[in-house]
Amino acid sequence: MPKVVTNDNPYLPHMGTIREIIQETPNIKTFRIVLDDPEEMAAFRFEPGQVGQLSVFGVGESTFVINSPPTRREYLQFSVMKTGEVTRALHRLSEGDPIGVRAPLGNSFPVDELKGKDILFVGGGIGMAPLRTLLLTMADRREEFGDITVIYGARSPQDLCYRYEFDEWKAAGVNLILTVDREFPGWEERVGFVPTVLAEEAPSPFNRVAITCGPPIMIKFVLAGLKELGYEDDQILTTLERRMKCGIGLCGRCNIGDTYVCVDGPVFSNTQLRRMVSEL
Amino acid sequence: MEQAFFLADAELQEALAGLSAQADVWVPASDARKPGLVRFRRFQPGLTVRLDARSLVSAKEVLFPRSETLLRFTKEKDLSVPAGHRIHLDDARTVRPVVVFGCRPCDARGFLTFDPVFTKGPYRDPYYSERREKTTFVSLVCRDADAACFCSAVGSGPADPEGSDAQLIPVDGGYVLRPVTERGAALLEPIGRTAAPEQIREAQDVLDQVGRETVGEGSLTTLAEAFRARFQDPAFWHAHIDKCLSCGLCTFVCPTCYCFTITDEARGLNGERIRSWDACMFPHFTLEASGHNPRPSKVERYRNRVGHKFSYFPARYGQVACCGCGRCVRHCPVSVDIRAVVRDLPAQEEAHA
Amino acid sequence: MDTLHAHLEALFDDLELVIGWETGYEPLRPTPAFLRSREDLSRLVWNPLCAPNLSVYLPGILKDAKETGKKIGVCLKGCDSRSLGALVQEGFVERERLYVVGLPCPGTVDPEALAEARKSSAPVTHVSFRDGLLAITSRDGTEEIELERVLARRCRRCRHPNPLHADVILGDPVPPRRTEPSFSDVDAVEAMSLEERRAYWEEELSRCLRCYACRNACPLCVCRDRCLAESRTPKWTTQRDGVRDKFLFHMIHALHLAGRCTECGECERVCPVGIPVALFKEKMARIALELWDYQAGTDPAATPPLQTFDPSETGI
Repeated sequence: MPKVVTNDNPYLPHMGTIREIIQETPNIKTFRIVLDDPEEMAAFRFEPGQVGQLSVFGVGESTFVINSPPTRREYLQFSVMKTGEVTRALHRLSEGDPIGVRAPLGNSFPVDELKGKDILFVGGGIGMAPLRTLLLTMADRREEFGDITVIYGARSPQDLCYRYEFDEWKAAGVNLILTVDREFPGWEERVGFVPTVLAEEAPSPFNRVAITCGPPIMIKFVLAGLKELGYEDDQILTTLERRMKCGIGLCGRCNIGDTYVCVDGPVFSNTQLRRMVSEL
Repeated sequence: MEQAFFLADAELQEALAGLSAQADVWVPASDARKPGLVRFRRFQPGLTVRLDARSLVSAKEVLFPRSETLLRFTKEKDLSVPAGHRIHLDDARTVRPVVVFGCRPCDARGFLTFDPVFTKGPYRDPYYSERREKTTFVSLVCRDADAACFCSAVGSGPADPEGSDAQLIPVDGGYVLRPVTERGAALLEPIGRTAAPEQIREAQDVLDQVGRETVGEGSLTTLAEAFRARFQDPAFWHAHIDKCLSCGLCTFVCPTCYCFTITDEARGLNGERIRSWDACMFPHFTLEASGHNPRPSKVERYRNRVGHKFSYFPARYGQVACCGCGRCVRHCPVSVDIRAVVRDLPAQEEAHA
Repeated sequence: MDTLHAHLEALFDDLELVIGWETGYEPLRPTPAFLRSREDLSRLVWNPLCAPNLSVYLPGILKDAKETGKKIGVCLKGCDSRSLGALVQEGFVERERLYVVGLPCPGTVDPEALAEARKSSAPVTHVSFRDGLLAITSRDGTEEIELERVLARRCRRCRHPNPLHADVILGDPVPPRRTEPSFSDVDAVEAMSLEERRAYWEEELSRCLRCYACRNACPLCVCRDRCLAESRTPKWTTQRDGVRDKFLFHMIHALHLAGRCTECGECERVCPVGIPVALFKEKMARIALELWDYQAGTDPAATPPLQTFDPSETGI
């Protein structure tokens, strides 16, 4: 009987090891993962916005954006909010544990098209993760982009991810505006929902692209707010999330009409979103 | 018909036994206690082969098993790494040649929906593709259409050779076997004797006659736009779908429904990652960990099933994802009729125009 | 039929909608109909081919219904009415929001038996029923077939052809085929040796596709979208294709129906691969009968025996 062994199996994860775990917020952890095969790690290439499937063997796989930038390649970083079966299992892992990685998957932000433009990032909660990969890419290639403004909000100060690197972002010339939903002792930044702060800041749409990610309700109001400020649909980018299994366009559950979030996304312009059937 | 072979009824078992030496041969067969229960089974001598009957369930499981192992994982002790163990992954698999013998044209054609998705990419599914490359379909020209059949309405027909490697044509005393592809010819060469000219003539007559038959009304292949226009018409979907029980029967008996799930079945760190049939009609199919479900009720789920087959799939792959076998209609516990739903998609005035 | 139409016509102003049956893709396949206008009533059919138990829709439709003060009309056969009774007992259906049209039932047809009994296999163009005879018309002419010859298994053991809990009964009462509970099919399986029985169920259940039609067609499977058959947390069943998991699902299904199943047989009717899954529930019904002299759904005021749990009870 012929035995077929192929290295060309998109379901087969690369084995990696968790180098570092950062407790970002009470229910979000960041995992820094290194592929076990040094050659694989050295050869690993991806674009900002692409995702990966993390495997906890015996429990399953789940999809997360690679939130480290392609300009920094000592590890791959994923941030995971504890919500379901796989994410709970991921949160139980320790530094040094083996983990499976299927990556990169999906499309990416059109970095080349963003060159020379002013950029507005609007993020909420864990939604900062997909923005971080692009933000740091831009920070590392700072001279290629214009003004970079970030409006980032969460429910409370302790729900903001990546607090330990805010200073680094600012040092790279990022105009960072932080907000939380209500007053907290010791909080000296903005207070208010992200869409409200967006309206107050009102960054000009001239030569600017807005990139937003966050909870669905925030996205809804941010899109309306951007429209109010004069942003055209193709000046707005967002990333979508859907329940996924295969991640490679086959299993049939992440579609929105004829668009498959796993292979056609997760990055979409508002122009594309508006063409989709209404099934978010 | 240039080249053809003849297989007498009495020689069928022997021919199938011969084919079984090199391949897994799947045939429609009835269960010992239940003559009406015909389904595809692996041939073994003595099996009650039922070329006269349509199989209740499609031949899908031959190339797309209800459940299959994608990879095995095992925990291996390794004190040189911090965790003290590694995970070993193994995706080795064996692929035996397969012959599907005596399926109907719709069964063979069903895989033409799988092919572009699983073999062409952007990612090639190695499990399906490797099996597909070694599979030969011998379909029987179909003279048993019932009220649920509608192959002609999706651009096929009861004598459709598309998707088949060879055709079985019933003639006096047996079958004429007509190769459609080279693979079909290679398969038939050893099992049949060359058909006599009058047998070929008779077979050609059957082929011509069945080929002229229309099974199912109208055409359901050009309704992608009508679907989009109907998308946000809840009254339309409710009128058709209020009776749906939201089970997975229609998708599981369907030759073209390919949605699946992937789960780990394990004890601790030893086990298998398996792929198994899933159904867009099940609520958990799209249920996210947050509790949000983009298709929360049977209305959105059934709409997606119709959309996938008659709008989304055509947009991506240029063909409808339906072979008109009628199983979803025939076996539905409450007789939901996808033909009626699709036919009613255009607004009334257009439908009558 | 004419009585049914006339009766509902006269009442229609007081009804939100009527759930009945209409001709499906062929006259052999009546399909559930949600009749929302007076004109829709003309689509209503009633004959021994009207197999679906319409009580399965009641919890959902009552939940979604607008508060118009109008009742929801529903046509129920004898066995269907027991399901309604059980749903009322368990608080899933408010009886007073329904107008129940009870239809004494001569028995329903087993489609496979009918296909075997028919000489023609041509698509059917017309069906009628009179005096125990089905008249089936196709391009090959009209065949008359005795209903008794093609009866579904569930109907052969029926003690309740005449609906309970109805607002009105339309049609003459039907003499029950059985006056005493019959469990002869369960007996036949129990007469097998353990090895035979194991082999029997392994063969039957090996065909299960896990499509869950049996579950979704069951009026008393009230967990709906939260069935533990598909739950991963906790994880009761795997997705493997073995008999073990299928058996486990069917056992869970049966046990959840212990003392609740009204023996309508829908689970078995809808199985696409002919597994006699109702036998599991019949066994449960027999235990409920023998243990508590209890028949689910016959008395809307009764408390189901397995729902008498009382946390203050001593000794539990």
